[in-house]
Amino acid sequence: MSEAVLKVENLRVRFDRGGRRVQAVNGLTYQLRAGRTLAIIGESGSGKTVSSRALMGLLPATATVTGSARLDGVELVGMPEDEMRHHRGADIAMVFQDPTRSLNPTMRVGTQITEAIRAHSPVEPAAAKRRALELLSLVRIADPHRRFHEYPHQLSGGMRQRVMIAIALSSDPKVLIADEATTALDVTTQAQIMELLAELRSRLGTAIILISHDLGLAASYADDVIVMYAGRAVEYAPTRILFAQMRMPYTRALLDAIPRLERASHTRLPVTPGQPPDLIALPPGCTFEPRCARAQPECRDSRPPFVEHEIGHWWACWYPCKDGEPL
Amino acid sequence: MAITEAATPSVLMTDEGPPVPSRAWLRRLRIAAPAVLIVLIFVACFVLPLVAPIAKPTGGDILNSLQPAFTPGHLLGTDDNGNDILARILYGGRTSLIVALTVNLLGLVIGGGLGALAAQAGGIVDGVIMRLFDVLIAIPSLALIVAVSLSLGPGLRNTILTLAFFSVPAFARISRAEALRLREQPFMVAAKLSGTSTGRILVRHLAPNIGPALMTFAMLGMGIVMVIEGALSFLGLGIRPPAPSWGNMIFQGQLSLSGTPMLVVWPSVMLFLTVVGFNQFGEALRARWSGP
Amino acid sequence: MTALLEVRNVVHEFTVRGVGGLKGGTVHAVSDVSFDLDTGETLGVVGETGSGKSTLARCVVQAPHPKSGSVRFQGTELVGLRGRRLGRARRQMQMVFQDPYGSLNPRWRVTDIVEEPLIGYGDGDAGSRRRRVRDLLDMVGLNPDVYGRRRPRELSGGQCQRVAIARAIALHPALVVCDEPVSSLDVLIQAQVLNLLEQLRTELGLSYLFISHDLALVKQVSDRVAVMHLGQLCEVGPAEALYRSPRHPYTVDLLASVPSLDPNRPPATERAVASGEPPSPMAPPSGCRFRTRCPRAQDLCAAQRPLLRELGPGHLVACHFPEPVEEESGPPTVTGGRARAVA
Repeated sequence: MSEAVLKVENLRVRFDRGGRRVQAVNGLTYQLRAGRTLAIIGESGSGKTVSSRALMGLLPATATVTGSARLDGVELVGMPEDEMRHHRGADIAMVFQDPTRSLNPTMRVGTQITEAIRAHSPVEPAAAKRRALELLSLVRIADPHRRFHEYPHQLSGGMRQRVMIAIALSSDPKVLIADEATTALDVTTQAQIMELLAELRSRLGTAIILISHDLGLAASYADDVIVMYAGRAVEYAPTRILFAQMRMPYTRALLDAIPRLERASHTRLPVTPGQPPDLIALPPGCTFEPRCARAQPECRDSRPPFVEHEIGHWWACWYPCKDGEPL
Repeated sequence: MAITEAATPSVLMTDEGPPVPSRAWLRRLRIAAPAVLIVLIFVACFVLPLVAPIAKPTGGDILNSLQPAFTPGHLLGTDDNGNDILARILYGGRTSLIVALTVNLLGLVIGGGLGALAAQAGGIVDGVIMRLFDVLIAIPSLALIVAVSLSLGPGLRNTILTLAFFSVPAFARISRAEALRLREQPFMVAAKLSGTSTGRILVRHLAPNIGPALMTFAMLGMGIVMVIEGALSFLGLGIRPPAPSWGNMIFQGQLSLSGTPMLVVWPSVMLFLTVVGFNQFGEALRARWSGP
Repeated sequence: MTALLEVRNVVHEFTVRGVGGLKGGTVHAVSDVSFDLDTGETLGVVGETGSGKSTLARCVVQAPHPKSGSVRFQGTELVGLRGRRLGRARRQMQMVFQDPYGSLNPRWRVTDIVEEPLIGYGDGDAGSRRRRVRDLLDMVGLNPDVYGRRRPRELSGGQCQRVAIARAIALHPALVVCDEPVSSLDVLIQAQVLNLLEQLRTELGLSYLFISHDLALVKQVSDRVAVMHLGQLCEVGPAEALYRSPRHPYTVDLLASVPSLDPNRPPATERAVASGEPPSPMAPPSGCRFRTRCPRAQDLCAAQRPLLRELGPGHLVACHFPEPVEEESGPPTVTGGRARAVA
């Protein structure tokens, strides 16, 4: 069991906008070990993206980040921007959802990679180019010499995402965050990109954080899973355990709502009514209670704590699902 | 295929009751303040001379020239021809505002209409209209304006026509770009599938969505037109003295700037206030129409 | 008996502007697509980016008209019609779009949006229209008193889609074309909207043409499924048959790429079969357009475009070398897609 390369403790992110206070992330705690993949699963507004942007120092000025996030012992929360710039890209890197918007359309692909390389270490242009070509091969881009000189629009979506991964890996980061990195890609391309990430992880020992709304992705590619809802972690377990013994009604609801190939046509899906809560006005009790099929009166009054109820398996619920019990 | 992150709502989306707006008072103030300023200016120029004892702007007695401010009967004094400055400011304002309003209105209606038509029609019609306007826009504006003005001659009506040459193509470009953008939106297709007639689509779907961009441009255009009108007057075209306009007052006053600065300062201040008022109003409208 | 919708040899292309406004190339979005859709049926069309499925949907509703081909709806040919005649012929065909906010005029209120088709087709007077709008909003689960006066920006994505659906069913349509109706929505909201569509289907006797990139989703809502690749149909058949015995290598690859929900199964990548980058719709390969990524491709595939042939009851495949039928086909495993060994 390797040492934790990233330790996040009680991370909180608050936005103050126009006189209103939004608690986007509320006490997130997890650990990430080298060479492992952690999936953070949640829907819009769950706080999954905000929490990782907090780690990268990429939040706007209206955000206040408290708590702790230690990357190999170095505290990221509260780090001044010029220091953050050294770590960003070098120790912790991010791949975003839309490669079309993350790559500069007016710059050649190769230049964007070499620029990233030279931002973190003083190398000669020739050495940077060699490394860039190495990276392009590493991410399985065919004909790297030709692609080096091309512009982003000449590449397919999948290839652009590979370039993003190459840029992210250029300085051998300890942690790679893939923020909905495959959401905009076709399912076949997604499969290829995920395989690439898995291979890179075993080859380079990078720890990966997969941010997604897709539980299926977590099942196939993650070692551990955190499920987030309304800014909080609601369930956390190694993947196998989570899928074998899902406890949070929300996680079960997510799972049930995913379309399945083996369902017969015209089946009515089990439906969770309502919408995610407004982060400005969170209820005092469990945030999922208004929509929960298992809710009891006490769920509305007091918020269940996020506790390690079984070994390695954390959840926050007064009436969790039991094995084999339907929702 | 991308999942859009839910933006933090500025309105509470509960399942009961109407939405509660946030900071509405500030937004209203930003629209109201410049609006009030504009209204005051209009009232001053158009209404005040009718109700208050304001002198005539022309026909002054040269023996009365360059009276200082607060001379009885001449609140701001007189200019070098003996004309009451306050009167010239107010009547000049009428002219400047009429020119600016008319030019922008023409641009909005004709330019906006032609641009939307070009976008809707496509093909040859689009090509012809836009190439025509491209030519007009390509010629350096001042040269074009001078050329047109020379051929038309000075005076209020011709000044308006001249400046319209300038504004119509500009509005057409914006209108066409917006219309093209909107054409691709699914709600336009949905409108067709709903059986809505083309006319109704133009009026109820296209116009309200192109309108804001054009209105904002029109607001900015007010100031631009007033300044150019002044430049024309300076060249002896545009509004011919002794008829006042803020533009020609500024340019005339420049000739004796060191001796009598107030001849320039007053019209400049009015022009400044008007331009700022319209700009701020346009900006606030744009923010209101495009934001949450 | 004539099908509700008969699509024959539809072709649609776009010219793309290159540098300097000159013609850059042609996107062959839809190339010779034919299918039928019967009354009461849900036909799912699944394909990836560039497959042309959305363009096909637009061509079916004649917005725009396809460059060539025939679309017969309720027995009437739509392609040549214009103006009011088109409106009349198309009255019972409606559409729900992918972008919940884009499909609603941002300046209009919900009641105006839902009322639009009632006005467009001249249905009754203002009073009866207003009543009908209230009924429609109730049908889609939106309280008219709460939501009627709102504008789209005051609604969530799921609520916008409900409004769009209310508008679509206002005229008692026979066919609703759904172009990725839930792709922009969160998972739990997706389930709500899908259930609504299913409920309305049975209540109102609707037929759906359901377009999506999500194979599991399409299979779950459809009676029959058509798989599209680069403008052409690869395989069409009953949903179950396609899933149990996919015959086209592309269908096999799609099925294999669906992430499994069982952590104990090997990830999709070990089961996927296609390789390489998808070709561009501007330069599709000759013959079979999947051949550059197909593990089974031969020379014939480049020389001759395979046509749809019936290989099973109602099961058509466009491939010169389709997958063999699996001898043993027990009930599928509880989770995820199927692993296929390539013969």
